[in-house]
Amino acid sequence: MTTDTTSDDPLAALDGTARATLAAIADHLIPAAHGMPSAADIVTDGRLRFVLGARPDLAEGLVAALRPGLGVDVASRLATLQRDEPANLGALQLAIVAGYYTDKRVRELIGYPGQEAIEVKSWLLPEYIEEGLIDKVLERGAVWRDPATGDRAVVEGLPQTYAERFAGMPDDSQGGHDGPDGA
Amino acid sequence: MATDPADVLIVGAGASGAVVAKRLAEAGFSVVCLEQGEWHAKEDYPGTRLDWELQARKAWATSPNIRELPQDYPVVADDSPVEPLMFNAVGGSTIIFAGAWPRALPSDFRVRSLDGIADDWPLTYHELLPYFYRTDRDFGVSGLPGDPAYPPDSEDAPLPPLPIGAAGMKVARAHTRLGWHWWPEFNSILSAPYDGRRPCVQRSTCQSGCNEGAKASTDQTHWPKAMALGTRLVTGARVRRIETNEAGLATGATWIDREGGEHFEPARVVVLAGNAIGTPRLLLLSASSRFPDGLANSSGLVGKRLMMHPFANVAGLFEDPLLSWQGQFGDLIESLEFYETDEKRGFVRGARWGLAPTGGPINTALPSRAGEQIWGPDHHLHVKTHLGHGANWGLFAEDLPDEANHITLSKTVTDSSGVPAPEVHYSMADNARRMLDFHIERATESLQEAGAYKIEVDRLMRYSGWHLLGTTRMGDDPATSVLDRWNRAHDVPNLYVVDGSCFVTSTGVNPTSTIVAIALRATDHMIESRFNQQVPA
Repeated sequence: MTTDTTSDDPLAALDGTARATLAAIADHLIPAAHGMPSAADIVTDGRLRFVLGARPDLAEGLVAALRPGLGVDVASRLATLQRDEPANLGALQLAIVAGYYTDKRVRELIGYPGQEAIEVKSWLLPEYIEEGLIDKVLERGAVWRDPATGDRAVVEGLPQTYAERFAGMPDDSQGGHDGPDGA
Repeated sequence: MATDPADVLIVGAGASGAVVAKRLAEAGFSVVCLEQGEWHAKEDYPGTRLDWELQARKAWATSPNIRELPQDYPVVADDSPVEPLMFNAVGGSTIIFAGAWPRALPSDFRVRSLDGIADDWPLTYHELLPYFYRTDRDFGVSGLPGDPAYPPDSEDAPLPPLPIGAAGMKVARAHTRLGWHWWPEFNSILSAPYDGRRPCVQRSTCQSGCNEGAKASTDQTHWPKAMALGTRLVTGARVRRIETNEAGLATGATWIDREGGEHFEPARVVVLAGNAIGTPRLLLLSASSRFPDGLANSSGLVGKRLMMHPFANVAGLFEDPLLSWQGQFGDLIESLEFYETDEKRGFVRGARWGLAPTGGPINTALPSRAGEQIWGPDHHLHVKTHLGHGANWGLFAEDLPDEANHITLSKTVTDSSGVPAPEVHYSMADNARRMLDFHIERATESLQEAGAYKIEVDRLMRYSGWHLLGTTRMGDDPATSVLDRWNRAHDVPNLYVVDGSCFVTSTGVNPTSTIVAIALRATDHMIESRFNQQVPA
């Protein structure tokens, strides 16, 4: 199953038996279903090489999780890892999941284009202001607790709407009891 | 290395150290900073690459215990349900922080007076307000003015708010129906070009470093300016102790370079800007015959009263696609509806809520924060229903000070230079547990009102110790505090601590905005009182 590996190849640590075990586990964790392909079909040499190239630290845990001594039954192997070797199980799951979800076809199928650069249009009036949601917050008045009284602050002359807030504020904006903080 | 003492030596090039360096350099001081980490270029960050989610779980993880880089120091946290998070580099943890920028509230500075518990601060919200305005300008803060959860401001955020996304809109409408507070979050992330930096592109990879330079990290916002004014920044410099003379004054720092060579950097004044684990670690490492329990520790409080904001995550799933893998990670919106004390709830103080994006497909496919893992045929349904369909309320509970929560030096674990690692001893208080339980219930109602058909809860997230606070508290009484109201050590008149260690109580908000405002205030005072400053002969 493994081909053209060299000593620098991140896959060199995985022999044919380990690769076959990995494929069986991949198919168990993420089988073909609901229009999605199996991880065994996706996490081939190229994807695994990408994952281990990015995260060579995963190789040790992966090799341990795929060792023959854990038997041939996939469910039993995973249960043993969960109980006794959670770090190795974590490396195994991450290698399979990362190989799968960095695949172009899988990303297209789940509608995920990657983390995209989207322009922030800060010059536009936000929808929540247009919809009046900010006005509702302002209408309810001050929320903070005034240290001078211990009660919810009462601030005279606070703007009741967004439009009013930006029409002009009181000179020093130190209204209510908030000046000396009760110090 | 150096022979002429600098006016001021700063240990740590993160948020607070950068603020101090820039301000002192502007005032004409000679400044040296020792930083154990390195510079990073924006191109180093993995956010634009296919392997982003892989790297975010290792080389760009927020925990030094996961990264295991030579410039990190391990933090032994076996005796804590919460892992402290930090980053060691020029820019410090601002490289990987989310960028949410709420201020502490007026009541936060008067906890003893208002709630009969913990302590009051030796300063007030309004004393700090002018510094908030200045640091908002320096960092480049985006936000909508007028939030009624705070006293009215006389100065608006320098930039308009960032988008709140489809998830933010759903929850904002829900809170309008519930009559609950919400507001677009203030973030130190640019919504428009500013100060030579590019704006946010909503990539949502803020916690792996910002490829645009839109998120304020002090390697972008402060250090180039401080260095242009003559500040010398030494990277790869791990400080192992602060030295003192017979008069009990700090004389400089002994540090170790990348190759293990030892050096001494002399200075007239020393400023510690590590964090609330790194700074007490260094003070404890600086024990001497004159200071047998650690430097500046006559109160016995160095390393004690550690606060980390116990954090719960409440996730709502929605039928509609919300594109919730995008957006500033920072927060979209916040709620302070239940921030202030209401004793009928069975606890004092409160929590801030921040609504955040939900991550990419690898994060979605792997076991969730709440421990849920779905394999087999239904795995595909799980990913399709979660990816881009979630809204997360992050709940930051105010953590009250408790001397039992403390830092010690490890007898067995060291960093790569052989310096003892810090050990964290921390447990969550009953008050905080009751607080989080209450807030989880309310946040669940919030998301259900917004239309969520399923709620998933992580009641105390382990990798959530972003906010490290309180281990060298400020105060007026040297018997009950380490620092005075100007961040100067009571015991060592030319030693200052300007990071979050100085916090008296934790507040219930993300602390960086408040940390840097306090650091700037301390620096202004240092400058104003320069002619009265005691320095070594």
